[in-house]
Amino acid sequence: MLAEPMIECENLTRRFGHFTAVDHVSFSIARGSIFGFLGPNGSGKSTVIRLLCGLLEPSDGFARIAGFDVAKQTDEIKNLIGYMSQKFSLYDELTVHENLQFYGRLYGMRGPRLRGRYDELVALTHLGPYLTRRASQLSGGWRQRLAMACSLLHEPTVLFLDEPTAGIDPVARRELWDLLFEFSSHGMTLFVTTHYMDEAERCSHVGYIHMSKLVVCGVPDDLKLMPAVNPPGTKRLDIACDHVTVGLQAMRHLNGVRTATVFGQSMHLLVDQNVSEQVIRSELTRAGIPHAEIYLIGPSLEDVFVALTVQNNGGGK
Amino acid sequence: MKTPFRGFTAILYKEFLVVRRDPMTLFFMFFPPLIQMIAFGFALDTDVKNVATVVLDEDRTVESRQIVERFVNTGTFKLVGEVASSKELSRAIRTGKAFVGIEIPPGFTRDLDAGRTARVQVIIDGSNSTIASSALNSSIGVTFRESILRLLGPSGARDVPVEVRPQILYNPAMRSPNFFVPGVIGIMLQLAATFATAMSLVRERERGTLEQLLASPLSRWGLMLGKLIPYLVISAVMAIVVLGIMRWVFLVPVAGSLTALAVATLVYIFTLLSLGLLISTRAQNQIQALQMTMVFMMPSVFFSGFIFPRDTMPWIFSAIGSVLPATYFIELMRAIVLRGASLADFWVNLVVLSGMGLAMFALCALRFQRRIA
Repeated sequence: MLAEPMIECENLTRRFGHFTAVDHVSFSIARGSIFGFLGPNGSGKSTVIRLLCGLLEPSDGFARIAGFDVAKQTDEIKNLIGYMSQKFSLYDELTVHENLQFYGRLYGMRGPRLRGRYDELVALTHLGPYLTRRASQLSGGWRQRLAMACSLLHEPTVLFLDEPTAGIDPVARRELWDLLFEFSSHGMTLFVTTHYMDEAERCSHVGYIHMSKLVVCGVPDDLKLMPAVNPPGTKRLDIACDHVTVGLQAMRHLNGVRTATVFGQSMHLLVDQNVSEQVIRSELTRAGIPHAEIYLIGPSLEDVFVALTVQNNGGGK
Repeated sequence: MKTPFRGFTAILYKEFLVVRRDPMTLFFMFFPPLIQMIAFGFALDTDVKNVATVVLDEDRTVESRQIVERFVNTGTFKLVGEVASSKELSRAIRTGKAFVGIEIPPGFTRDLDAGRTARVQVIIDGSNSTIASSALNSSIGVTFRESILRLLGPSGARDVPVEVRPQILYNPAMRSPNFFVPGVIGIMLQLAATFATAMSLVRERERGTLEQLLASPLSRWGLMLGKLIPYLVISAVMAIVVLGIMRWVFLVPVAGSLTALAVATLVYIFTLLSLGLLISTRAQNQIQALQMTMVFMMPSVFFSGFIFPRDTMPWIFSAIGSVLPATYFIELMRAIVLRGASLADFWVNLVVLSGMGLAMFALCALRFQRRIA
């Protein structure tokens, strides 16, 4: 790590009455990273974002953005960050142009600075043809672009995006990520929550929160090498075959198979090192599947999160 | 950068646009109170005239016809028919054909001539107390005057010894619109203005845009003022319209200065808008905001002196009235419109109103947390 962290939190905790929504979460994110924050619904993702944006006060612990305390130096923080909330909260009655103007002015921008930044973002997001259209008449993907442009007008150093890709089509999703990479290359730090594992794979750093606790945090490739994910004496296999669901049942009953899940036309297995390809093939043949292609594979991020969640729950289930 | 009203112009810009784009909101802000004003103004007419009256004349003499005529001449009564029996008379009142029955028993003229007390029975439907007391007063007046004139007859004097020469100030025709319409304006402005701002923050909370605003460096004073000013302008326009209606539809003359009227109205509107904002910072959703607005509405109708005089109220109702902005405004309006009072005469009302407004506005900004929970 060269630079000091852009975002850091230590034992960040937030309680609502008896419920602890965020439980002693600590991590640090370097400038220019794309941090993917994952976790099931209700695990505390949005609460962490709100804490970092100064919208909620921590019950315990602290968080800093660029060295400013999020609980105390909210004014400094708010000029530094951009926030795109879950539902792309725009003013439906206002046109695209007016929404942009409003958010610009909200951050005290005017004159040539606002105009320059406005033109830049309109070009970047291709919103040009829609400027006079009301926000209510935009489709999901365009709403999201507008919301993002609004949150970027004041040139934030850190951009928080709370599930930016929920409910938009794959093309818009791909384009959004292209934009995010571009921002990141200009030194902006991005904090993105998502449900999608493929999005997590694109991030430079990921964190996984489960039941209010941060389960893991780090660089995806490092996480895939963790011993908890790759228990000694095991290997991961990808088996492509017909009738995968039938094959899955057969594999689950095979000695030495620890986990087996379907991945489209194939299945992923975590098996003991000594389970040979031969054994698997004969078992599949017995189940009525004579042809199968078997490859050795590494763990995916999903495997990482599953393994660590199970481990955290005390190996139960 | 760190000014107390940071973000004010942005909010102002946005609010004006939103109001312009959403004419339905404006319509619902303007229209129902306007209807209310017209309805109240016409319906709250306590001038009792032409009360439906039936006559049972069992005497059938010149004198009996004369006394009935005297009743009619007061303008209070209007003959709608003659009946033949007491039973018929009672039925006419019971079925609502008439409010008043005048019964002249046989021997009315005979008693008069003999110097005995001649009786006229006046039967009044008491279910509407305003009409009943008015009918009673007129009846007493008619018979009293008749009696005195008859007593004076032998003495040769033509005039009654003592006569009241009433001089009714400020509303000589005693028209009830003059009394009620200024009050109605107070009530309807409250409905429209409080409602408008009560909805504004709540709506942003519901839509999630408030969260977006809170993540920006917008200051709470900037937010509150930006929310208030557009509605101050709209409400002021509305006030001009309703004052125009008062003057040219209900024909209530304005005795005081227009400047005094404008200042009083503007201060009142500011207070109402602050109340609405305060509701908006408390309410979690639009239903709650609506309910809270109504909580302030009902007492304003009953305890502000709008319909019932506050002096005759039980102390508790009068006390409730004394914390309502409407109370002070209605008093002020009646003073300026009817009695031509100046603001200097009623500076206390103005101070109380602006005090309430400023206090509530400050409370909004101070109470409002730039956090979501």
